[in-house]
Amino acid sequence: MPAGIIFFSILISLAGRLADLNEQLMLLVNSVAGRSWLFDNVVAFFQDNDLAKAGVIGCCFLAAWYGGKSTDSTNARRRILITTLIAAVCVITTTKVLSHTIFLPRPEIQSQKIYRLEGDQLVAMKRIPVRIPLDETSQKDYRALLSGDVDTNDLGSFPSDHAGFFIAISVGIWLASRRLGWLALAWTFLVIIFAGKLIGAHHTPLDIVAGAAVAVGELAVIQYVVRKRFSGWLDKLSGLTVRYGALSSALVFLVAFEVSSTMIHIRAFLGLLAAMRRHVLLGMG
Amino acid sequence: MKRLSIALIIFGLVFLTSCKLQKEGLVIMTDSSYKASIFATNKTGFGSPDGLVWRNGKLYLANEGSNALEVWSKTDGLKRLADSRLGILSPEDLVIDANNNIFFTDDDAGGLWEFTADGTPRQVAGKDKGLISTEGLALAPDGSLLVGDGEQHEVFRVTRDGKVSEFLGKEFGITKPESMVFDDKGNLYIADNEDNILYLLDANHTLHRLIERRDSFSPETIFFSKGSLYITDSRDGKLYVYNPSEELKTIAAFGGQLKNVQGITVDDGGNIYLTVQTDLKHNAGDIIEISKESSAIAQR
Repeated sequence: MPAGIIFFSILISLAGRLADLNEQLMLLVNSVAGRSWLFDNVVAFFQDNDLAKAGVIGCCFLAAWYGGKSTDSTNARRRILITTLIAAVCVITTTKVLSHTIFLPRPEIQSQKIYRLEGDQLVAMKRIPVRIPLDETSQKDYRALLSGDVDTNDLGSFPSDHAGFFIAISVGIWLASRRLGWLALAWTFLVIIFAGKLIGAHHTPLDIVAGAAVAVGELAVIQYVVRKRFSGWLDKLSGLTVRYGALSSALVFLVAFEVSSTMIHIRAFLGLLAAMRRHVLLGMG
Repeated sequence: MKRLSIALIIFGLVFLTSCKLQKEGLVIMTDSSYKASIFATNKTGFGSPDGLVWRNGKLYLANEGSNALEVWSKTDGLKRLADSRLGILSPEDLVIDANNNIFFTDDDAGGLWEFTADGTPRQVAGKDKGLISTEGLALAPDGSLLVGDGEQHEVFRVTRDGKVSEFLGKEFGITKPESMVFDDKGNLYIADNEDNILYLLDANHTLHRLIERRDSFSPETIFFSKGSLYITDSRDGKLYVYNPSEELKTIAAFGGQLKNVQGITVDDGGNIYLTVQTDLKHNAGDIIEISKESSAIAQR
């Protein structure tokens, strides 16, 4: 029993230190923001522009799809990439569900005077001295925050869905083609995560690590399950993509397009379906 | 391997809880001259209140979750004044006149209800007189009561003896008069939380659209105090203050389980009280107090 208590207290202290380290790391990376208009605008460009942000990942995906040296190797790559797409959808679903369940506002929100409900008390949260980038979008968002416009999405930053999604796709590309995979992974970590998420303090390193863990875990499980249980179907599907090359090219273009835009159009379409369901079936205004 | 997995899971859970990652509520003070605290919780005995009024050190609650009209004070605790035995279903808004008669509306049972100063509950006017789904309520300077109806999209005038007449008909275009209040100049403010508009009816009976087509603005309850109109927004989880000479200003934003801010009242000291329906289905709610921070702390 005393050993259990000691073990538990060590865990608590370790967790506390990890939380402090997480905050310090986030502030260290964020310390480069808000100093140079040019630097912040370059970073913002890669964050806001889908082509610059994720176009490279889409290109790597397409190159891996078509890059096999023989029919067998093309089929093998396509099997991996099809499974990767299934895993990526699962990853984004998981991270979205988790971030809506776990209540942790983005660091930029935590820079404000906030009270958190703890039991029956409102307790003042420690304010995080986040630096706001000087680009127009960040400044506009910050002004909105100061006037109380807080997006619900900004109240659940853990884990990072962007990190999860792009890491899942990049690791999938890496499994299909090492060279393209390294490029996709480097772009994901440097441009999408480091520049896009950490410098602007949209996420802490912990959010990214959690997103990455979900991505790698789910991708590994889904690759394993699909290979063991559904290998017949997967072979048939990859064979069809070779047989009906024109049609599969059109579809894979759509996939790459959506990957490059973090599935924003599919999400908008699902949102429309949900609204139609509310209006037509449930008769709500 | 199994032990290692269990240890990792325990560590993960401990880490998550130590980071305060549970689903919670939060209040973001956009005006840092204010501070927030929980004034009362369900432990006091109330359920999920909607409208509330502060009067002489007592807090009167239109308790939608418990289907009751209640009063709370520090000395006497919570006391039930009227409940479903009277026929009320979902008390919505309430006002108190100078003689301490309490009037309240009910969006499910309809009608206008009164709990008189001598302790007698009664229905002033019911559905049979056209008050189908009563929402906002205001005490007019002539002593009559103005009652908003969300189903008929009208505002009615109701006299103390129960006579109902049309005050603002459908032609005024108010879809849901959710809350109403007079200012010190005799203007009537009307909150429509369906069309998301704040109206002002001036002394010449002309209706003005004060705030409309604004992102993140859906006025739920309004309360006038010392030259300022305080507004809650349950859809966006906001508390605003509006002064005719200034722009609409956000005091606080609410998130998580505290998002559904409903009723609002201000005491003599300028402290703001808000009801939050954390879970109306399960009859759970809180009362939050928003008060001025001492000047030294606010400056810091």
